[in-house]
Parts: sequence; C-alpha cells; structure tokens
Amino acid sequence: MGHSVYAALLSNRYLTSRLIPFIAIAAVALCVALVVTVVSVMTGFLNMLKDSGRLVVGDVIVSSGIGGMPYSDEFVADLKGLPSVQGATPLIDTIGMLRMPYPSGNQKEIVHVQVWAVDPLSFATVTDYAQDLYWRPPADAAAAATMSPDDPRRSLSPSILQDGLTLTQSRTGTPGITLGMHVSVGNARQRDGSYLPRYNWFMPGMDVTLTVVPISGSGTLSQPREHTFPIVNELQTGIYEIDKNRIYIPLKEGQRLLRMDDAPLFDLNAEPDAEGNYPIIGKAPSRVTKILVRARAGTNANDLREAVDARYADFSSRIKADPTRRAKMPEFVSILTWEQQLRDLITPVEKEREMMRVLFSLIYLVCAGLILSIFWAIVVEKTRDIGILRSIGASRGGVLWIFLRYGLIIGVTGSCLGVLLAWGVIRNINAIHEAIGSDAPPAIWIGTFVFAGGCAVGLGRAIWIGRLLSILLWLLGTSVLTLIATALALHHGTLIWDPSVYYFTIVPDQVDWTTAWTTALGGVLFSVIGAAIPAAKAADIDPVEALRYG
Amino acid sequence: MAEPIDCAVLAAVGVRKTYSFGAVPVEVLRGADLAVKPGEWVAVLGSSGSGKSTLLHLMGGLDRPDVNGGEIRFRGSPIAVTHGHRLDTYRNRDIGFVYQFYHLLPELNVLENAMLPAMVGNWLPRAFSGARGLRRAEARQSSIALLESFGLGHRMHHRPAQLSGGERQRVAIARALANAPTVLLADEPTGNLDVKTGAGILDLLSERHARGLTIVMVTHDPAVAQRADRMVKLTDGRVEAEGVVR
Repeated sequence: MGHSVYAALLSNRYLTSRLIPFIAIAAVALCVALVVTVVSVMTGFLNMLKDSGRLVVGDVIVSSGIGGMPYSDEFVADLKGLPSVQGATPLIDTIGMLRMPYPSGNQKEIVHVQVWAVDPLSFATVTDYAQDLYWRPPADAAAAATMSPDDPRRSLSPSILQDGLTLTQSRTGTPGITLGMHVSVGNARQRDGSYLPRYNWFMPGMDVTLTVVPISGSGTLSQPREHTFPIVNELQTGIYEIDKNRIYIPLKEGQRLLRMDDAPLFDLNAEPDAEGNYPIIGKAPSRVTKILVRARAGTNANDLREAVDARYADFSSRIKADPTRRAKMPEFVSILTWEQQLRDLITPVEKEREMMRVLFSLIYLVCAGLILSIFWAIVVEKTRDIGILRSIGASRGGVLWIFLRYGLIIGVTGSCLGVLLAWGVIRNINAIHEAIGSDAPPAIWIGTFVFAGGCAVGLGRAIWIGRLLSILLWLLGTSVLTLIATALALHHGTLIWDPSVYYFTIVPDQVDWTTAWTTALGGVLFSVIGAAIPAAKAADIDPVEALRYG
Repeated sequence: MAEPIDCAVLAAVGVRKTYSFGAVPVEVLRGADLAVKPGEWVAVLGSSGSGKSTLLHLMGGLDRPDVNGGEIRFRGSPIAVTHGHRLDTYRNRDIGFVYQFYHLLPELNVLENAMLPAMVGNWLPRAFSGARGLRRAEARQSSIALLESFGLGHRMHHRPAQLSGGERQRVAIARALANAPTVLLADEPTGNLDVKTGAGILDLLSERHARGLTIVMVTHDPAVAQRADRMVKLTDGRVEAEGVVR
C-alpha cells in the first residue's frame, strides 16, 4: 500500500479544510445511532417478553386434551427424576366465568377468564409465581418511602403474601383465588408502574364467584358448577395478555369443581344393591390437563422437551401394560417448549422488530445518497487537483485511494460516533424518557427565548447592514429558537411509553451489540460505496481535461 | 536547423492530434516534429490555438497522439508504448511541468506542494523509484533547499492563497524540479505575471538551465522566447520555422 503518503495527506486535508465532510459524518452517525437505538430497544422488549413468558409457563409444557391425564403425581415424580429437571407441577387449564365484586348493587360484572388450578407450592418452583404476587407489604422503610401515600401496600399485613403463596385465606382457612392484575378494573396503573385502587375497589379480601363447566373425558358437558372464593392476592407476570385473563385457584378445588378429582369406580355391569348403588371395584385417579416442567440451569429447553417426550412415552406404555391401572392415558399429548407455547405472543413482536430493522435500514440508502452527492460535489470541485496529481505521476489507483480513504474515514468515524451516540442514548433512555414526560424546566425555555431574542437583535442588525445571507441566517435562528422555546413552554410532558398504559415500567436500556456492530459495518460499507462511484469517476478523468477544468 | 532525432533527449516525430468538439473533429497538430537536445532550452512560439500546449501535453505524457499519428520519444524510446506505472513514472521522474496558472494544491502548504512529486514517487514501485525511506528524508531536505534558494524560506508553511503570483510560480517550479527531472516543460510560465516578476521567473529558469536542465517552454511572447537557446514556431499544427536565438 504505497499510496499512503500523499493520499493520506490529501484526504486528511480535504476532510479538515471544509464543513461538508463533518455534515456527512454527522449524517452517518445519526443513521447508525437511529438503527442501533430502535433495534436495541425492540430487542430489549422482546427479551423482556421472552423472559417473562418463560417464567410464567416453565421451560416445557405437557398438555393433554380437555379430558385430562391421570396419574399425574406419578408422572411428575418420574419427571423430577430426570437430571435436567429442576421442578415439575401439574395443573388444570380451563375456562370459566368470574362474577366480580363490583359494581355495587345486585348486578355484578361478569368476566370470562382462563382458569389455572395449580398446586401453589410446586407451581412456585417451576414459575415465578411467588415473585409475581403483587400485593405484599414494603420490604423496609426505604421501600415504603418510595410508595405513594395512597398506596394500599403501605398498610398490608404480611399474611397477604403467604395467602397468595398457599392460595388459602389464612384468616378463615378457606381456599382462595389469585387474579391476574388486570382481570379487575379496580387496579389503576400509575406512571411508576404501581397500582392504586380505583373507586376503592381493592380486590384482596373481596369474594368472587367462579363458574366452570365440567367436561368428561369423552367431551360431554355437565351442569355448570360455581364456587365463591376470597381473593387472596393478585399476580403480575409482565405479560398483559396473561394478566388480563388468568386466575389461579388451588388444584384440589379445580379438580373438585371440574369433576376431575379421584372418584370411586363402579361396576355398572353388576346388580345394584338395595339402595341402588353399584359395587365399587376400584378408584378412578384424579386428572390434570397440563404439567409444567422447569429445566435446571444450563439445560436447553429443546433438549428438555425431547427428554420429557421420551419419558412420557415410557411412562404411558408402562401404565398401559399394567392391568391394575383402569384409567387410560390420553392417546395424544402435546409437549412444547415455552417458546412454542407462547409463539402467538412472541412472534408478532419478533416480526415487528424485523420490520423496524428493515424500515430503519432504508435510512442507510438516504445516507449513501447523501455521501454520494457530497463526494460528487467534492470530486467536481477537485477535478483540477486530480489533473495536477496525474501530471506529476499519480496513478489512477492513487487518485481512487484518496477518495476511497476519504469515504472510509467518514464511514468509520460516523459509524463509531453513531454507536457511541446510540450507547449514550440507550443507557440513559429512561432518564431521557422521563425528561420528555415531564414539564420543561422554566430555565430552559426562558433561556431559549433569550437566545431567540439575541437572534432577533442580530436580524435587526443584518437588515440595517442589508446582507441577504445574514438576514436569512438570523431569521432562521430567530424563528427556530422561538418555535423551540414556545414548544418547551407549552410542553406538559408526554410519556411515549406511559407505564400507566403500556405494560412495562422501564424502557430496555441494553445495547444489542450484534446489531450495533453490523449496523456500524453497514454504515462504513455504504459510505465507501457512496464514495467509490465519484472516486472511480475521478480516477478516470483524462489529465489534460482535468487541468483545463476550473 | 532541425536537431537530429537520434541525439534528442525528447522528440516529437510527425505528431498528429485531433480533438472532437461535438461532431466536429479539429486537427490541432498535423505532423509536428520537434527534437530537443540534452541541456537545450527550446521556446515554442505560436498564436493562440496553434497547438503549442497540446504539443507540450503530448511530450509530457499527459495525452497521446492520434492512432498512427506519430510518436513522442524520450531518450530514443517511444513513450506512447509505455502504460500504467511506466507512464506515471515518466511523468513523475523524467518530466517536470510548470503551468501558466501555477496549479498548486490549495489545501497543501508551500513545502507540501513542493514535495508532492517526491511523495507521489515514493509509492511508485521500487523498481522505478528506489528505496523509500531514504528518498523521503532526502526529498524533504532537497525541497527545503530548493525553496530557500528560490527565496521562499520564510513561506514554507504558507498556503498558496497567501502567496503572490510570482511566489506561486516559484513554488510551482520548485515542485517541477522536486524529483530532479531531465526535462522541464513550461506552459506560458510568465503568462500570468507582470513583466518584472516574469523576468525573475525567467532568471530562475536560466539559472537552472545553466546547470544543465533541458527546458521546453511554450509562449506567445517573442520577448520571453528570446531567453531560450532556440525558438520554433508552430503554425497550423506544424513546426514552421526554427531559429537559433543564441
């Protein structure tokens, strides 16, 4: 690479002796920063969703049909024997109607819900159930101090958490219910992500009535059954769709209501006794519809899925071969990883992120076009220089390298600055978000008005002197600053992602470094391509033609 | 009296050059012959449009004659057959150009402008330009010495825009001489200067010529041409008349 000495000297001088390369660098930096920021935040949201999702359903989900599967306790114990399994829990997943305790009067609101009848203790080993219970007293005085004076958590008894964890109202010893945080409209989400009761509808302690319809293994519906539960706590999983619809009751209650508990097995072929009862020949085991499995740290969900699959095939054939087992294992169970199970939730966000990436990457083209036109202008301006260089023996390659190097420097500097800018923005995105969401401090907008006033004075002076460019620039400065100052003065804080509306309290503030470096590389590539075209044109200029130029 | 081509360091032999202005071909040179002896100062006179600058460009390897339109020979070998690096090396090492409008690079200071051919030569393949490291330091020293001898010692770090016309032309000559070329090609070197400054430039060329530099100078001014050893006149694309000045 012998072009280095004079090509470096010239491209450096071309860079530093005018404003336009700095505009190009700023353009590249802004494009890169924009793409990196948008994709990083989207990736952060996706990861938040995925993390929450996994903690809600475990790593692998075994689901039978609505008839359920028997011998779940044995199968759960069997699964716990697998070295890759940290925990497993059976549950029933069905739908129901919930009569809410509001409004006042006889007419109560009825909502349809997804019912999860769980064994709360083992359920908490597989999911983040214990951590997701929302109502709990503040951990210490410092935590209490951050809460609003109206926050009901300030006066909660410590038993509320225990009640949620056991799904039992400790005061009365009755089985309780935990609602998803948004099942009730009584919970009003605040900007800091906390909740205050709306119309004093504070749910814990109130009663709700759940109605479910038992369905037999063959699919026939029975009479709907209802039960009134005290609300013991509410649950926030971090996934709105789940918290809007799901309620949790104890597994035993669920099995009882849905007639999935263990029951005597009668011989219907025998003669009934004098009271009309058929003889008991055994016991039908209780059933569940799902088993959630949590992987040990370091185990891949797909590997666990395969292990669970193999274990189920083994377990199912063992039951089938045992003549003492009268209940049949379901013919088909679905065994899915959490990602497969939650794909309806995850896929749209993934698609959104990719669409954002594509849309924002189009900005690159604008960037390349900008660089191309800047370079075109520079090459035209430098045509005579190119002729001079060729006349003293500079080769085409040498001339090409001057301008390619120029593009490379703009690309590399712009891209690095862009990544740096994106890093700064992303790391402070919550502070920025907060600032946008608050009123502008008076000092800032008054200061801006003062600057605008200064520009107005400059404008008056320019008019007096009669210089058109000065008039234009001062006019521009005055108008833009006045507009900004007015906007700041009138700005009363608009949160883009208002946590009282959107379902996260903080905006993800981690840079997606893979995206950052590929975007930066793209920025360099587009800058070099933008430079290459006029650079090749420059190298092709006939020296005599070039010398005549200008 | 024409010089024998065999003795010439640089020669144009029956050179033809046609330019197209739109659809109209204009034959600028129609078989021009010129042979320049080593150490000779030749002035090429001619009216505007007679092809003086074109002849100079062809002799300097900046342009090529028409196909079958004669050839330019340097030390007896045609330069038209050389390509790429060899032609670049010819322009860099064997020839120095001085133009009427100086053609300095505005972004570089005086010293950098004067060193430019040496810097360009530094990266030419070693087969043509010799060892790099040594040359770079030498080039800097010789450019400084040259500029000082031209009375530009105090202007070394100034930009061309800060110089007078005469100073700029002296920098241009220092640049042309940076690689100690065999032949200096000067296109109206005093054309943009007042008489007194022009005379200073010609003195400078005379002094270099006295040290053995071969010069081919294009001018339309017979008074300027008087400084040369020999004058030739281009008329209608041919060398019409030759005269010995001294």
